[in-house]
Amino acid sequence: MSQGTEALPLRQRLRVLEAQPLALAMRVIIVGLGVFVLLWVLFFAQDALTKEPRTFLIVLLNGLTLAGLYFVVATGFTLIFGLMRVVNMAHGSLYMLAGFFAFQVQKELTGGEATSAFGTSEASLAEWIIPLVVACVGVGVIGIVMQQVFLRWNQGQDLRQALITIAISIIIADQALAHFGGIAEDIAAPDVFPETVDLHLAGVSYPFFRIFVLLVAIAVGLALWAMIQRTRFGMIVRAGVDDRNMVSALGINIQLVFASAFFLGAMLAGLGGVLGGTMISVDKSNDTQYLLISLIVVIIGGMGSLAGAAIGALALGLVDSFGDVYLPEGYTNYSVLLIFGLLVLVLAVRPLGLFGRPA
Amino acid sequence: MRDRSEKGRLRLWALLATLVLVVGVLAAGCGGDDDGDGEAAGTQADTSTGGGEASGEPIKIGIFSNNEGAFAPFEGQTWGGAMLPLIERGATPVSGDPTKGVENATIAGHPIEIVYGGSDSTPDKAVEEARRLVEQEQVDILIGPLSGSEGIAVANYSKEQPGTTFVNGISGAQDTTLKVRSPNFFRFHNDGTQWTAGLGDYAYNELGWRNVVTIGDDYDFPYSQIAGFVAEFCSIGGNVTKRLWPALGEEDYSSFITQIPEDVDGFFMGVGGTGTVAFVKQYGQLRGNLSDKIMGGIFMTDPVILKELGSQVEGVVTAGMTAGDSQEPAYLEYAEGLGTAYPELEGTASSVFAYGYYTAMQAIAEALEEVDGDLSDDHAAFREALSNLELDAPLGTIKLDENRQAIMDNFLQQIVADNTGDGVPDVKTIKTIPEVDQTFAGFFSPETPSPDRENPACEKAEPPPWTQQGGGG
Amino acid sequence: MRPPALTVERTLWWGPALVILVVLALGPLIFSDYYLSAVITKSFWLGIAAASLIFLAAYVGMVSLGQVALYGIAGFTMANLVAADGGSTIAWNPWVGTLAGILVAVAVGLVFGAISNRSYGIYFLMITLALGVLTYYFFAQVTQLSGFGGVNNVARPGIVSNPVGDPANLFYIALLASAGVYLLIRYVVRSPFGLALQGIRDDPSRMRSLGYNVPLLRMLAFGLGALIASVAGILSVWWNTRISPGSIDLSRTLDVLIIAVIGGLYRLEGAWIGAFFFVALDNWTRGVDIVGSRFNTVIGVIFLAIVLLSPGGLMGIWGSITDFVARRLSPARTAQPPVRPANETGPAPE
Repeated sequence: MSQGTEALPLRQRLRVLEAQPLALAMRVIIVGLGVFVLLWVLFFAQDALTKEPRTFLIVLLNGLTLAGLYFVVATGFTLIFGLMRVVNMAHGSLYMLAGFFAFQVQKELTGGEATSAFGTSEASLAEWIIPLVVACVGVGVIGIVMQQVFLRWNQGQDLRQALITIAISIIIADQALAHFGGIAEDIAAPDVFPETVDLHLAGVSYPFFRIFVLLVAIAVGLALWAMIQRTRFGMIVRAGVDDRNMVSALGINIQLVFASAFFLGAMLAGLGGVLGGTMISVDKSNDTQYLLISLIVVIIGGMGSLAGAAIGALALGLVDSFGDVYLPEGYTNYSVLLIFGLLVLVLAVRPLGLFGRPA
Repeated sequence: MRDRSEKGRLRLWALLATLVLVVGVLAAGCGGDDDGDGEAAGTQADTSTGGGEASGEPIKIGIFSNNEGAFAPFEGQTWGGAMLPLIERGATPVSGDPTKGVENATIAGHPIEIVYGGSDSTPDKAVEEARRLVEQEQVDILIGPLSGSEGIAVANYSKEQPGTTFVNGISGAQDTTLKVRSPNFFRFHNDGTQWTAGLGDYAYNELGWRNVVTIGDDYDFPYSQIAGFVAEFCSIGGNVTKRLWPALGEEDYSSFITQIPEDVDGFFMGVGGTGTVAFVKQYGQLRGNLSDKIMGGIFMTDPVILKELGSQVEGVVTAGMTAGDSQEPAYLEYAEGLGTAYPELEGTASSVFAYGYYTAMQAIAEALEEVDGDLSDDHAAFREALSNLELDAPLGTIKLDENRQAIMDNFLQQIVADNTGDGVPDVKTIKTIPEVDQTFAGFFSPETPSPDRENPACEKAEPPPWTQQGGGG
Repeated sequence: MRPPALTVERTLWWGPALVILVVLALGPLIFSDYYLSAVITKSFWLGIAAASLIFLAAYVGMVSLGQVALYGIAGFTMANLVAADGGSTIAWNPWVGTLAGILVAVAVGLVFGAISNRSYGIYFLMITLALGVLTYYFFAQVTQLSGFGGVNNVARPGIVSNPVGDPANLFYIALLASAGVYLLIRYVVRSPFGLALQGIRDDPSRMRSLGYNVPLLRMLAFGLGALIASVAGILSVWWNTRISPGSIDLSRTLDVLIIAVIGGLYRLEGAWIGAFFFVALDNWTRGVDIVGSRFNTVIGVIFLAIVLLSPGGLMGIWGSITDFVARRLSPARTAQPPVRPANETGPAPE
């Protein structure tokens, strides 16, 4: 996976742009506008930071924890693309399936009594970890099967693979509806986790599990970075991204690497699904939702980039959270336009995403 | 990689298979050309001609509910309710699954054919399904839909089909009857606004609330619910400081919960369907115990939801058209009948989903019996009977107003600790508001703006007669 | 000039086409009212939507998932500008509203095109998908324009009359619109503009070096696609007499993609063939007990099968059949290998 861009030095880039004054002017205007709007919404609207620090802190935490969840999911998506150039449109379906699997397993283990009523969570640590493992591995296996059966023999045909994964996601969605029903379900967090934690900051008490998700996201990010940069497997992955044929010619079993990477990517979607299912809920509309989120995160951050996924997730999570609360009264339902604006802004300046590389 | 010739042969087989499929589809599709009957494999029951009692012409009743979307989990209840009046008249369930229908159904000596339909809570799909049932399956009577926005669309559609009678399932948006006023669309249960009668009064006078926030899904049904609450609460002097509208299907309510001011006295929770559980859980995490700050809509007392919510909602007051703790013989008989016919529906008799579809079918049956199944002349006699019907429903009498909208009692209820031993909190009726009509004591008329995010405005007005300030209480 | 020779191949293409055209011309006499309206007319406007996708995919190399959003914009704009229940309270003349709807959709299409015209292949697909879904959320959340319940009872021009009671009018309008769109596309692709687009599809850098403004041309092509999609949008609102966000959500977007792929992503006729197949299958499966509400699984499996085995869709299958028959019946022609390589998906290099 790429860690840096092949960016020209800033001076050179500016010189190139200067040659097309209209393009330069447009970009400057758009970026300036974007930054202005962002600052205004964040800080000046309703004197957020000064007058109501408590609300501001909660909203900030909401945004960060959401960003953490989005990061975990989007990383899987961008990993698969970065290495294999496969746009896995069934990524959201894997997220959803993991949530449902975990819920079912937990239900079996706890005898159906695991609703997390306030103050008492009826699931022990094991009764959360086991569903997590089962769901992640299960979804990982589905991912490998998908890759081996449907995607292995048409590598290089991006569009066709996208269509195949779309078809698979449609089938999964319909079957999930048939087997798991339409009701949203809740995975119970382990009872060893406190329900809320006092942050000793502006008198805020915040749900512990959400903070846990953020910590997991950071851990996942660090672990992936370490794996890519420091392990042999990561080295092969980076080499494979650059030149697949050469890697193969060097005697490395590139197909095995691909399968493992797909497994890892799918497992990340699964991890996201279980975390999201505990933090929010598991629902049959999750597949569309988290596919869209993954898409937006990598459009902003650039395909195949870990840092890009982090930035993209942060941007999306924060805009989502702040937009819902701090847009002027009466316009709060326009928050989707903010996201749209964010996308436009990024694409206007860098069509391949902030850290994206051309294919 | 397979070699060329093998791949070619595989492709040929695939092509042949696809071709057969295509031809099959086209053949089936074109089979519907000439007579408009359609591929009538969709009926669930035979037209019974046995027994000697069924001697009249068959009457086709189409029933549709939600089999996809946020309300899909309630489909079983709607069908259970709809089938019960037929079972009371001698029909037998096909299986333990209510959506499979019944056999040997007759009303007034006419065999009844049941046709299945399903939509997904969106208006488009609902109308498509209604069109299929009415125009292709040629049903005489259509029961449905389930969801608020669907109801408005289907009521509009009913105007195009004067030859079919439409009876609402459980869709609760106000406009469906108050604004659309289709002459062949009937609703035998209260709408969302009527279901909140009594809550504003209780909040102001019993709980002492003065400042309230409302939160509800962003579509027609919660608009109607909250409209009723706001009208009543504000008329007697209360103030609604903020109205929050998360999108339907939104599962992460944290940013909305954050917007509820700390110092508000209470809030009205109009988030429904499967979002109720997520909301309550997240509120508990972010704000703590909620039972003394929250007032609920009809979803909170639904048996399926209540089971998920558990003890955290004990003490919460809600209102609606069913009273799960009623000891009236008629109600007990109805509940028992439902549980006997469909064991999986045991304990769900108080669900509005079951009750709404039940009253629809019951009204149809009684009206048909009154006119001996005469559907001639565009159902003239039948519709006359329906309009004038005084339905003796298990929880009280139901009459229709001039827009064919029900007038019935509303029950103020409190969720209390489980005392039936089934592990699910119970519901106690604390007050009955008699004969609530759709104008909600004069607040709403065809000329007032439709309930939406800002309407009705929060203003002091003539209080409804059932409130303390209005002379009731 | 002599008329073109009557070969086996030509007969196999033109024969069915003529039969279909005759059947359609006599539509109201052959089909029941319900079938005419619910299946055939719907196939026309869905086909137009798919045609906009196929035009962009086949002739410009841009597979866009934003067509449904664009037709939604046209539909919602018109619905808000004419008398209706819901949305804004403006009540213009329906024809003016229609024109305005189309103009607005084309304008937005040009904007979307400007945003995405420097992205290619799969990136382009993703961006148009994101734009499409964001449009859905926009209409779902902005209650002044729609909200979840959408806009009902949209006023239609007199000539459209009542699509339920009187389907023949809308049927012919949709038929003519489809024919018009088809002819328009065929004309455009033969024009210098169209040829430039095909050049861009095949080799953008070469076109750039020849002096063509590639981003501008792609943007304009997207605008043309938006024009076609907006015709579909207007027709869909007339057909439904309403429009709601559910009409343009992700499943509808995927429906149009499925139609285009099943019909044949690189043949224009495939748009309508695919649409008819889809609508007829949907209609048929609802009545069949064993399938019931699992239509999506069925269509998903068919879609998957087509993508895996016959990327040319139904038109591709028909093409293979005609090739096969033609070869059998004309032994004088030397056996040629199939024109398309076994695992090709389309002309555009990725």
